[in-house]
Parts: sequence; C-alpha cells; structure tokens
Amino acid sequence: MGLVRNWTMRSCRLGWLAAFCCMFLGVVAAAPSMSMEIVGRVPRVLILYPYDERIAATTEAGEAVRTRLLDATKGKIDLFSEFLDLSRFPEAEHVGRMGRYLSAKYADRRPDVVLALGEESARFISANRKNLADGARIIVAGFSSSTAEEMDLPGDVIGAFSEFHILKTAEMARELQPEARHLFIIGGSSEFDRSWLATARADLAAFSKSYETTYLEDLTIDEFTRRAAELPRDSIVLALTIFKDRDGRNFIPREAVKQISETASAPIYGPYLTYIDYGVVGGSVVTFESLGKTVADLALDALAGKPTSNRESPQSYVADARELQRWGLSEKNLPPGAIQMFKEPTFWEQYWLATVAALAIITAQGTVIVGLLVERRRRRAAETESRHRLLEVVHLNQSATAGALSASIAHELNQPLGAIRSNAEAAAVILRSERPDLELIEQILVDIQNDDQRAHDVISRMRGLLKKRGEIDWQEFDLNDVTTSAIRILRGEAERRGVVLSANRAPRELPVRADRVHVQQVILNLATNAMDAMLDVVTTERRLTLETTLTKESKAELSISDTGRGIPDEQLASVFEPFYTTKPTGTGLGLSIARAIVETYGGKIWAANRPEGGAVFRVVLPLARNG
Amino acid sequence: MKQLEPVVHIVDDDPSFRTAVGRLLSASGFRVALYESGDQFLAQLPNGEPGCVLLDLGLPGLSGLELQERLAEKAPLVPIVFLTGQGDIKASVRAMKAGAEDFLEKPASREALLEAVERALRRGETQRLEQDRKHALRARLGNLTPREREVFGLIVRGKLNKQIAHALGTSERTVKAHRHNVMEKLGARSLAETVSIAERLGLVDPSADQLQR
Repeated sequence: MGLVRNWTMRSCRLGWLAAFCCMFLGVVAAAPSMSMEIVGRVPRVLILYPYDERIAATTEAGEAVRTRLLDATKGKIDLFSEFLDLSRFPEAEHVGRMGRYLSAKYADRRPDVVLALGEESARFISANRKNLADGARIIVAGFSSSTAEEMDLPGDVIGAFSEFHILKTAEMARELQPEARHLFIIGGSSEFDRSWLATARADLAAFSKSYETTYLEDLTIDEFTRRAAELPRDSIVLALTIFKDRDGRNFIPREAVKQISETASAPIYGPYLTYIDYGVVGGSVVTFESLGKTVADLALDALAGKPTSNRESPQSYVADARELQRWGLSEKNLPPGAIQMFKEPTFWEQYWLATVAALAIITAQGTVIVGLLVERRRRRAAETESRHRLLEVVHLNQSATAGALSASIAHELNQPLGAIRSNAEAAAVILRSERPDLELIEQILVDIQNDDQRAHDVISRMRGLLKKRGEIDWQEFDLNDVTTSAIRILRGEAERRGVVLSANRAPRELPVRADRVHVQQVILNLATNAMDAMLDVVTTERRLTLETTLTKESKAELSISDTGRGIPDEQLASVFEPFYTTKPTGTGLGLSIARAIVETYGGKIWAANRPEGGAVFRVVLPLARNG
Repeated sequence: MKQLEPVVHIVDDDPSFRTAVGRLLSASGFRVALYESGDQFLAQLPNGEPGCVLLDLGLPGLSGLELQERLAEKAPLVPIVFLTGQGDIKASVRAMKAGAEDFLEKPASREALLEAVERALRRGETQRLEQDRKHALRARLGNLTPREREVFGLIVRGKLNKQIAHALGTSERTVKAHRHNVMEKLGARSLAETVSIAERLGLVDPSADQLQR
C-alpha cells in the first residue's frame, strides 16, 4: 500500500491518523437534529474517502462499512463513494473545486447520511456541508476523539473514534515475553512523531518501571537500523511512528518499521493494523472490520432516527503468526481473543480428516495384517499337524498293504530261496561224485549269487513299501518308474490271484514332484482294490491294466483299470470317502488315503466305469517341468 | 520196463528254481525234463515213458490244478507231486482230492524232494505193472470163443456145470470141455484163480452176485 505520504504529513496533528497509515477521517454529520423523513425511496448514503482508491486502509474500512450496510438493509440502500484525493491535491483550490463539483453532482440526490472516513474527509464535509448535503447526518470515523476536538467539528457531527493505546500493546508484549528485561520505544522526528512519543512516555510511565527502558528517538534511519540490530535478545520494542527521521527524510511509518525490523535482534510491536506484515509481532489495534461495523451501526441508527452519540471502535489484539514463530514466541501466551494473521494452518489442521482417515485405514490394515499373520501361523501349525497325521495314516496303510501282499511276497522270496537250496544241495551231491563237474559247480555258484540278489531285491522292495516318513521327502521322479516298481511288487500277488497284470507305459518321461513312496502307495492301494473287485467275479479273464499317459493339459496321468463288476454310478463319488467299503474285510481307508496323498501333491483322483465293463481309477499329477 | 529210466518232469515258471531243482535231481541220478508252463508240458507229453511230474501249484496261465485235470485224462499213469507256496491250503485240498500224489512246500529239502519223487515213481511203476497185467489178461480174454466167454461169465458167478448146461441148452459134458478150454486159455489153474482174473478185469461185481443169491 503505497501510502499517503503527503497526506499523512499534513495531517500530522494527531498524526496517529497517518500512523494508522492512512485511514479514515472523520466526517461530520451535519444532520440537524431532526430525524429523517425518507418517503418513497431507499436511503442514500455517501461515503467520502480522503485519498484515492488505491489506499488500502481507507478502502478496506469503506468496504467493511458497505458490506455491513448492505447486509443490514438487505440491499435496500443507495451507496455512493467519492475519493477526494486530498493527499496528492491538498491545495485549497482543489478542495474548493471538489466541493463545488460534488455539490452540483448531488444536487438532485442529496444524501441522507454522509460517512467521512479520515480526518481530511471530516474537514472537507464540515466545509461543504451546506451545499453538498444539507440536512444530512454526518458521521466521522478513523481518528481519535482528541483530534476531533482540535478540529472543532460542528456539534451535531457524531464520530466512530479510534483510540490508540500503546499500553495495551505493551502489555501484550509482556505476556508474550515474560522474561524480557529491556524496553525500547521507537519514534521519529516529525511533529506528530514527537507528540506520539510524549503521549507514550506518559502512558508507559508505570509499565516501563519494570524494565530497563530506552527511548530511541531523534535518530537517522540508519541509526535506527543499526541500534535495532544490537538490541539484547530479552528486549521488547514498541514502534510508534516515524514520519520523518532526524535528517528530515520522509517515511511511510510502516515502511520505516519494516526496514528496522529486518535487522532487529528483538521482537517489535506496534499499535497499528497496517504494521502487520511489515515485520511487527502485533499489537492492540482497531481492525477494519471493527471500524466498518461501528461506522455502519451509527449510520443505521441515524437512518432509523434513533438517538446517536460518539462511539469508540473496539480494539483487538492482532498478531502475525510468522513473527511469533520467528521469535519463538508461544501463541499460548497471546491475550484471549487475539487474532492470528498469516497463520499457516498446521498439517493437522489442514488435513485432519484425511489424516484421521488414513490413520484409521492404516490401523485397520495393520489389524487385518496382524490377524492374517496370526491366522497364517495357526494354519501353518494346523497344516503341519494334519500332514503328520496323514503321514502316520499312510504308514498304517503301508503296513496293511504289506500284510495283504505278504503271501505273494513270501512266494517271491521262496522262489530264490528254494533255488538257492536246491542248487547248494546239487553242488554237494556233485562234489561227492568221483569226477565232479566243476564247470557246473561254477555255474551253480553264479546262479546262487543271482538268486541271493533276487531275494535281496524282494526284501528291499518290502522295506521301501514299509518306509516310514517323518516328513514328506520331496523328490522329482518319473511316474513311469514308480509304476514299474509297483508292478514288481504286485506281480506275485496278481499271479497268486490269477490276475493278468499288464502295463502300458507312456513313451516319454513323466517327471512329477512328490514323495515316491507315497505315490507308490497310491498305486498299490488302487491296484489291490481293483484285484479285490475281481475276486468273486466270474469272467473269462481277470485283467489289471496300469497305464501312464501325458494328458492334453500336459499333466501326468496314471490309470488303473480292472475287469470287475464296476462301481454303481451313484457311488462313484463316495468311494473316496473314509470308511466306504464293500469288502467284508476292508477298512474303507485305502481309497481315501489315496485321495489325501494325491491332493497333497496337487493332483486329482477320480473313478469311472469302463464301457467295456469294470472300473477305472485315474490319478493326475502336475508335471514337475515340461521336458 | 527196465529198459526205460523214469523221467522227472519239472513244471515251474521260475527258470532259476526250475534249473536248480533239475540240477539236484539230475545229480541224484534222475533223468529230468524242464518245462516253463503247463501248456508246454502238455504239448510234449511223454508217451508211455515212466516218470512223474513236479508241478508248481501257482503256475501262471494253465494253473497247476487245471493241468492236473488234463493229465488225468491224457496220462493217468504219471503221478503228480505238487510244489506249493506257504499257506495255500484251499488249492492244496482241491489238488489232493483230485488225486495228487504228494505235496512239497517250497523250499523243500533234498531229502524231502527225493523221497517224494521216489515214492511217486514207485507208485507209477506199480500202476504201470498193474496196467500191463490187465493188458495181458485182456489179450487172453480175447482168445476165448463167444461160447467160451458165456461159459466163463457163468463160471465166475459160481454156477455149477449142470446149471450152465441148462442155461445154455447144452449137455453137461460140453460145458465141462468149454470150462477146460477157458481155464487153459486164461492160464488159470483153479476156479479161484479164474474168478480173480474176472474180478481184475472188472467183469464181476461180487456184491451184485451176492445179492442175486
């Protein structure tokens, strides 16, 4: 806001006006005592601004008034604004010209109320009242009652006065800086500045006793700046006005304050709202809103014909949040009701909803994650437990299978053992003869070795069949190979039962990942089950066929088909249920164990009837790799 | 008879076992022949040779019991010794009822094996002698005239000459002459011997005769 330099200078009488930086002027209301009779039209209010429309102090105060009036009358009011530009054109000619011009302009629309903002406007309307606004009520605002007295305004003019209390500002500083030991008061060299200093001395007489007090006056701007940079940290600085320094340089006070505050080593306070944003921490000031409201209320009372009298615009404590932060002052120490300006909302204030929501989501997620982790651990434990149970059941099943196959296994063992015995006895006989055939003896010994190996193989297979697992022994193997070794175990039993056992082996490798012993057990279960199914069936041929293939879906399949009676269609699904059995001696566990094993390795098992008779059981396992 | 050494036929699908048993019997002085299946044995069925069969009860294909049935028709004079695994009681009982000579449980000791084989061969020999005698008697029976056969039939039923003459409508003297011829042709020196021959040939049912009386 480039201000009002000239104007202010001029007005230095109570210059505080200027101090205010420009603000308002009181206006006189001429209004003769009688209340107004406004008939058939909305009331007219003329607002006089002392300067041009760029001067923020008066403009904003005027806006506050307009807003208040429009609100209170619901828009039923005619508002007029005139910018007198008296700071740039202070000459009497301009004032006279302006008076004539406005008198002519408003000849047909005489205002009912004139609001004169600032001292200059107040003077102007006092001088031109008769021509411009005869009969109108005059209200002045924006300066102190003492200034008004000096101006000698007409008696019926009422004012909304602003009083500047440096003591209140000082007290606010004391609250904010309870530890301060020094007090500095800054004032300029103009007449106004000096009178302000004198007023301050009187106002602060008691307050300053608690401090080591220094008045910085009669200095050049450079001296002000330098002194301010050397202040002890525990100092309170009160800035009054500097319209002029010792060298006679003119300043807009707040510009001077700004220059000083930039290098100051202690917080600066001032009684003017316009100092805010120019480096001061704050002070007790009249806000534009406060002023506007006071003026507007007086105008409304006047329009309503109510008795009116002078009023004082209430003051507020105002602080610049950035300055509080700069000096490390706690906002908690501000007087109650203090207004903080330029306060950056904290992250929390700005985003509290989003933050709460985010935290809630994170908490919820965390809870869910923890829950899932716990759940997973429990599931792991349960799975481990269940796997161990399965392994135990499988082992029981292995033992049962071994028992069922014991007759054929004994037979298989008896063959080589019988051969060994006969060979050995034959050798003994031959050796007793006169001319023993040593070549034959040698052949016999070779055969004995081979049969011994055979017997050993049978026992190994038996061991493999009974191998107990504490944990699954994962390995990759060819499904064809396991099928072949299962067939070796089954062959004797099939012979014993008069079952023709045949195998169709896939032409390619079928690598699967599982526990070999378990997969073999599945084959044995299915095969013995199939042989049992053919036990009492009168057929031309009992045939058990084991076939391995690669399915279209690239999985390894093993099918075991028999020529038994088949399975009733309605029971196809339930054959894998535990304790399902049709055999008087069956436990009903073989097939359910087979399914449990197959599913453990990610496979599937199902039963079907063959169109040519008999049942077929199929096991499908995923390939360990495509190769 | 003595010109032919008896042969022990070993039928077992297990080559190793078959060979070993064959070696043992061979070393013990027997002629042996080895077969891997019942079908092979039937195809090469010995003709009239003395011998016995060592038969695996659990043969694949044509089973031991089926082979036993076939042999009963085709070579009734060849005794069978079954070799069985343990605990195959049901099949063993069936084999026994069908006339199996002996059972050997695998693995059998040499003594048990030789004893069983010799017993079988002896029995086979006995059966063979009996068979031969029957053949000879039948040949003699063939020498009788139809009239003499009638007379023979009546004599062995204990009829007196007079009764025979009456039955045949001839004289007692003629009957006496026939009777003499019959006994001479059959080589019987007494009435008792003549009856015995008739019995052996299965021409007389003594119990039926008693009932007639």
